[in-house]
Amino acid sequence: MGLLDYYKQFEAMSEEEVNAGLREEAAERKRKALTRLDTLDLSHTTWPELPHPRVVNAITFVARRGLHRYPHLRGSELRIELAERHGVEPSQLILGNGAAELLSSATRALMEPGQQLLTTWPSYPLYPLMARRAHGQAVPVSGDVDALLEAAAREPNVRVVAVASPNDPTGELLSTAELARLLDGLPGDVAVLLDEALVEFADAQPPSASLELLESHPRLLVFRSFSKAWGLAGLRVGYAIGGPGATELLAELEPDLGVSEVSQAGALEALRSCSELIDLRVATIHEERPRVIAGLRELGHEVGDSQANFVWTAHPVLDGGELAAALAQAGVLVAAGDALGEPRHVRIALRSRAASDRLLRAVAAVA
Amino acid sequence: MRTDPADNGGLFVGRRPGTAPVHFRSLPQRGSERRRRIDGSFANLLLAAIVALSVLCWGPIPLACLWLGSEADYLSGSVGLGILVAFVGLFGLLFGALSLLRRLDQAWILVRRAAGHDQRTGVLPRVFGATAAVCAVVFAVWFLVIHGPGSSTISGGRSSL
Repeated sequence: MGLLDYYKQFEAMSEEEVNAGLREEAAERKRKALTRLDTLDLSHTTWPELPHPRVVNAITFVARRGLHRYPHLRGSELRIELAERHGVEPSQLILGNGAAELLSSATRALMEPGQQLLTTWPSYPLYPLMARRAHGQAVPVSGDVDALLEAAAREPNVRVVAVASPNDPTGELLSTAELARLLDGLPGDVAVLLDEALVEFADAQPPSASLELLESHPRLLVFRSFSKAWGLAGLRVGYAIGGPGATELLAELEPDLGVSEVSQAGALEALRSCSELIDLRVATIHEERPRVIAGLRELGHEVGDSQANFVWTAHPVLDGGELAAALAQAGVLVAAGDALGEPRHVRIALRSRAASDRLLRAVAAVA
Repeated sequence: MRTDPADNGGLFVGRRPGTAPVHFRSLPQRGSERRRRIDGSFANLLLAAIVALSVLCWGPIPLACLWLGSEADYLSGSVGLGILVAFVGLFGLLFGALSLLRRLDQAWILVRRAAGHDQRTGVLPRVFGATAAVCAVVFAVWFLVIHGPGSSTISGGRSSL
């Protein structure tokens, strides 16, 4: 380095030069911010939008009015509203802290230690767990109603059959006719727990179709939830509906100290003011589901006919974990099937049209 | 009593004005300790040159220009030409000196930085102001005490007493 160069290196940048550099950095930051694409999370079956402000307001109102009190044990107002909505007597409906808790309570109430719980598989991972918690044994069955009936006839000590309709993660719907066939074909002491947490998204039959069987099948209990289409998973509100003869069993399932008044207020306000919003969500799913299924099939995927807010798909070459990892690289998160009972598949939740388009682009890039 | 440095009433939330660090195009490679000492001495030499040149601006340069003007007047017999030469010489030399002072000041900043100082501003304004004040005092002493006010050609001055 020459003498002049040595001293020239101590020359400061002018204000204009410094500002030009700062402006360039700011422009670069802005460009990156505009081109950044947030991760699209399609791994959950809960609705991704924030709750309606009216629901939040109702919760806030109740919270301010008095969290020092115990809630109404029977949740009378919400219970009556739900009963009217489903066309049943209030005594046929009980509230719980989420459908999952009610399902667990029902299993414990029905099963003696050593008895068996039949469930289709893959299905909601809670079912085997709740059998274990009741000191019973879960018997997973691959197949349809016929497979369940065969297993019920084969297994010596079946007490409960737990079925999700639409099923998580496959999205299959158990039609009313098939449900009736299952109920009629099971031994007399076997109860059927029908988990309809996702039934609002089905379009193959009306959401209330299964309730018509309650009158004639006292061993049927139907479980519904505010966690999925209603988008209120954090409130933990679910309910169970039974036939006229199931009142005593339902009373056994109720939480000892009821459901939080705050949760009841949120669910009640959602019922009263968010029905149109739910209809819009369901309509979006009804539009996107066939598009996504057709798009995935065009790309060579093996996709079942879903009636839920997700699709259950298998890549022609990659297993579920590999496909989920490849999609994660493209910024799309999906649920790998190994944790859901079938390692070849992934479960992909449905959202808006833009989300579907981005998903299909990402899947095509993987293919 | 406030003890929290962040408790500033909302003022100077960021850096205080005028305290921005010096930005270099690339990180300077500083010399050895010995070189920094030499640079320190070099900076002092430059400062001395700045002081000397500043002093020239307040006395010798104007006097030289007046002398040049008088020579032009004497040789040409034209007072106007003498005044013109004096003014042209004065402006030329003063602006030349100021330009040179500015370059010296820039060089002084660089050498001071090379010597290891966080030198952000030049020394010229202070030196120029200080030399102006010193020269004004010297001139006042000369004018009022040594020479005495009044004309040396017209009677009434000290010389006529």
